[in-house]
Amino acid sequence: MVDSTAGSDTMENLIANFNYVIVVILMMIGLWAMLAQKNLIKKCIGMAIFQTGIILFFISIGAKNEAKVPILSKFVVENSSAIIVNDYANPLTQILMLTAIVVGVATLGVGLALAQKVYQQHSTFHEDEILENQRK
Amino acid sequence: MVLFALISLSIQNLMGAAIVFGAYSFMMCLIWAGMGAVDVAFTEAAVGAGVSTVFIVSTIYNTSATMRSRPGGMAFKFFIGVVVTLAGAFLLSALTDFPDWGDPNSPVNATVVPYYIENSIDDTHVPNLVTSVLADYRGFDTLLETTVVFIACIAIYSILRIETAKSKTDETEEGITSPPSYDPSDSLIVRQASRFMIPFMQLFALYVIAHGHYSPGGGFQGGVILGASLILLAISFDLKFLLRHWREKSLMLLVASGVFLYAAVGLACVFMGGNYLEYGILDSILPGDQAMARSHGILLVEIGVGITVMFSMVAIHINLASNGRFDRGL
Repeated sequence: MVDSTAGSDTMENLIANFNYVIVVILMMIGLWAMLAQKNLIKKCIGMAIFQTGIILFFISIGAKNEAKVPILSKFVVENSSAIIVNDYANPLTQILMLTAIVVGVATLGVGLALAQKVYQQHSTFHEDEILENQRK
Repeated sequence: MVLFALISLSIQNLMGAAIVFGAYSFMMCLIWAGMGAVDVAFTEAAVGAGVSTVFIVSTIYNTSATMRSRPGGMAFKFFIGVVVTLAGAFLLSALTDFPDWGDPNSPVNATVVPYYIENSIDDTHVPNLVTSVLADYRGFDTLLETTVVFIACIAIYSILRIETAKSKTDETEEGITSPPSYDPSDSLIVRQASRFMIPFMQLFALYVIAHGHYSPGGGFQGGVILGASLILLAISFDLKFLLRHWREKSLMLLVASGVFLYAAVGLACVFMGGNYLEYGILDSILPGDQAMARSHGILLVEIGVGITVMFSMVAIHINLASNGRFDRGL
């Protein structure tokens, strides 16, 4: 009896917080792609998916119910005492992720550059073929 | 959304995977706009859906789009799947310790953030909280993130760039042996359309940088859009056309000068007697009171970020598209 209520509690928790579930699923997909895919470009895409999972985690943890975009309106600007904190979504997590996206594309570029260099050497993206070439 | 992620991994043709990945980025962009993170959505639309797709496509252009799948290996994939599922199960088991979704009193939302929201307007005169936190309260973070973009740009140069002397001999040999042939990508419609669009893109990007204090936008988004406009120029005409206007050397100098501008603003604050990146101290040389000086300081810093991001995107694209030879490409 006790066990079943605990189980339904966790189920309810999962449904209420399905954002975390999606985060975990995205991270699982990304991790699987990085480990199991043999193609280097697919690995890069897997890395980007893993990264979006983490970004989703930050953004959803900074979201508030009933909150608006974190830009103050003209009325509030003129009366700065009228600011209600819970009316605005969390700007801090947003700026962290904003910069993370731009840095992410730069690191994706580095990854792709390495992949191109590997392709120049081995003329394949397939991991096993690269290893075979190296053994020769 | 999860479906898009799975499709982009399962497609055998890499070009298709890149395009589906772009669609996935657009889905993410909608989700972020829905959670109130418009700046992040803007960045994702410009970066994730635009530039990163172009990077993947230009890499594929230089290599091959087909994947050689090998028989077997299913057991390996299944084994990895089990490992990943276990890791996911561990993550999910920690779920109850996290605050509820949308809880305004969670530790993330209740500690330092109320200060930013309440005092941003008095401190800096900037209504867009994201901009003021980005460039003022969290100025160090952003300085170092900009530096990371700069370092990534240098890394790609050192990985891919091939000596110019070598490529020059290649070029002359090719020029003698092969007559100029018809290029199917040489489309009049594409050229005229991009000729028409690029000025508006650049104008919009400048607006995004300058108006980032009051609306979603700022140095990162505007810089990416400016970079994308030059990348469009490189795609619709050819790489040489772009390089005639922007020398390789001046590109790298501009990438560095953006970071330099950011750091110099910080140093100027030190010389005026304040802390590093404490823009309020600049009120004696910038117009307005201390809060206005912080606002102007944010603008200067955003311009630095925009310059670095713009030219590093262009430089990364040129390297990837021409395989480091800087002669021709996508």
